[in-house]
Amino acid sequence: MNHSLQRRLLIVASLVLAAFLGATGFALDQAFRTSLIQAQKDRLQGFLYTILAGADVRNGQLQVPGDLPEGRFQQIGSGLYAVVLDDQGRLTWRSRSLIGQRLDLEQTLQPGERDFYRAELDGDRLVGLAYGLSWEDPTTGRGEFTLHVAESIAFRLEERAAYRRSLWTWLGGAGAGLLIAQMLVLRWGLRPLRRVARDLQLIERGAKDSLEGRYPREIRGLTERLNQLIRAERERTTHYRNSLADLAHSLKTPLAVLRTTLEADSSQPPSPQTMEQIERIHETVDYQLGRAALAGAPRFGESTPVQPLAKRILDTLPKTRPAGPPTIRFECAAEARFPGPEGDLMEILGNLVDNACKWCHEQISLQVDWRREGRGWLLILQMEDDGPGVPEAARERVLQRGHRADETRPGHGIGLAMVSDLVRSYHGEIHIDPSRQLGGARFTLQLPVNV
Amino acid sequence: MRLLLVEDEQELASQLCKRLQDEGFIVDHAADGPSGLHFATDYPVDLAIVDLGLPGFSGLELIQRLRADGSRLPVLILTARQAWQDRVAGLEAGADDYLGKPFRMEELLARVNALLRRVGGWAHPVLEAGPMALDTRSQTVSLNGEALDLTAYEYRLLAYLMHRPDEVVSKLELTEHLYPDDADRDSNVIEVFIRRLRQKLDPDNTLHPIETLRGRGYLFRLGAPPRA
Repeated sequence: MNHSLQRRLLIVASLVLAAFLGATGFALDQAFRTSLIQAQKDRLQGFLYTILAGADVRNGQLQVPGDLPEGRFQQIGSGLYAVVLDDQGRLTWRSRSLIGQRLDLEQTLQPGERDFYRAELDGDRLVGLAYGLSWEDPTTGRGEFTLHVAESIAFRLEERAAYRRSLWTWLGGAGAGLLIAQMLVLRWGLRPLRRVARDLQLIERGAKDSLEGRYPREIRGLTERLNQLIRAERERTTHYRNSLADLAHSLKTPLAVLRTTLEADSSQPPSPQTMEQIERIHETVDYQLGRAALAGAPRFGESTPVQPLAKRILDTLPKTRPAGPPTIRFECAAEARFPGPEGDLMEILGNLVDNACKWCHEQISLQVDWRREGRGWLLILQMEDDGPGVPEAARERVLQRGHRADETRPGHGIGLAMVSDLVRSYHGEIHIDPSRQLGGARFTLQLPVNV
Repeated sequence: MRLLLVEDEQELASQLCKRLQDEGFIVDHAADGPSGLHFATDYPVDLAIVDLGLPGFSGLELIQRLRADGSRLPVLILTARQAWQDRVAGLEAGADDYLGKPFRMEELLARVNALLRRVGGWAHPVLEAGPMALDTRSQTVSLNGEALDLTAYEYRLLAYLMHRPDEVVSKLELTEHLYPDDADRDSNVIEVFIRRLRQKLDPDNTLHPIETLRGRGYLFRLGAPPRA
């Protein structure tokens, strides 16, 4: 949940929205319920007056002769009932809707009093209104009665249920609409951030130099600093590499002079120790300065397509082979990328191709594969030759610094060590086995790439 | 064989010149880009050894200009820059080989000889023609497996002709590529050496390895010479 800004915002907004809509629904439902109850009370009051209008006292008993205007009073079990009690609580009249049913009402009220109450009839819940009245009768004198009007709340409940259904349908629909709108707004609002991420990827792939285009004010500070950082890093790296190359250059020229001078004096041949020390200085300069000038680790903003560079190397290096260029077989996946700067890939491929050319009889082969592995990719380089191969016992050794498989061949044995070092610093693997295809040595390099 | 050395480091240049001369090469030396280009285009050199970091313009530019002019002069880059990037850039510019500083003299000589051989289409250090074999490493010549006793000049003359098999080589070209100065240019010294070579290589007068084309020059034949 913490891994996506959009998801975080969406979750919080959804919770707030749900709470808000819930509260709104509850309030509306309560208001409707109150108004329904009030409406029923008003209706009961109306019925009361209608009944009173048709009431008459006979033999000291309050009666309601004839049909009442509301048909439900005549219909048995209609849910609308009326009862008149005298001051002793005795029934003097009941509506026809009560025929065959007993509605036990005992409450008597003083004239002018009014009371709303709840009652029950055969499991049907009722709301009743009792009204106390006194009736002047010319023959019997004054009589006091209580008129009850009761109505089932089933109608009210039904109405309320219907209301609730439509209320929640509308609220739910509005909620869903708001949520979708919110999602769209969030996507739109966060688009600049996604663009930054995409542009960074392009930079990493080498398709772009910097974060270009206009970003919103809020993140412009961030993008500008990032650009500065990328630029500074590039400049620093270039400067660093140049200084190291200059340093190597200025160390090696005097070394070359020293060596030729020593060798030139034919009257006094140089001692083997002297030459060995010069060789060691040379090797150290080559290895350490060469190593330091390489990036040697996957770094931001640098990745190199393999194919064009491999082709350049195969077009040039084999030509320098004293016995003439060997036959070259080259296969390369077009999308294959190396996770570092050109110089590092050049160092790896240059040493591998140079080594293969040095040892082959007449054939070398370079195969580059690009495979999906987990969330990233795997770059596989296979360099093969038809030479004598590397004996099993020597395989570990040739990848270490200062070990040559054959002391009589030129080169001071740091090339393959450099390759091995580089591959390891890119979290890759290198191993040597016999080439099934050509019969000589096969160097297999596997480098993980996260593009 | 005439070599051009373009190297701005004086000490190294003089050591190299001396050593290459000891090996029987004629060496021209230039200390910067422009004069290197001048030597390479206007002098009859067989191969150039070029340092990359030069005053004037760089060795890389020198090679590019040379190739742009259509020159096919073999070029060996000699530089302290060791990165493969520089190597590939140099080879792409038109250089034929590359050697990093510091280097062993033997390796430089081996590469120079290999490059010179490649121009003539020889892949191996021993140039063989019928019963004759010229070993560029030991600078010796053998006939039917027996070593011949040649003077340095005789060897160089034969080596030059064998590096250009089936090709007419004029007397002027031989003089320019084998003698450091112009002193002997008009003398008949070449004819004398050719005659001595023929006696040593073909004592029975059956092989006819070197043909004289009157007024044009000499021709070394690889295969069986035509019967006159």
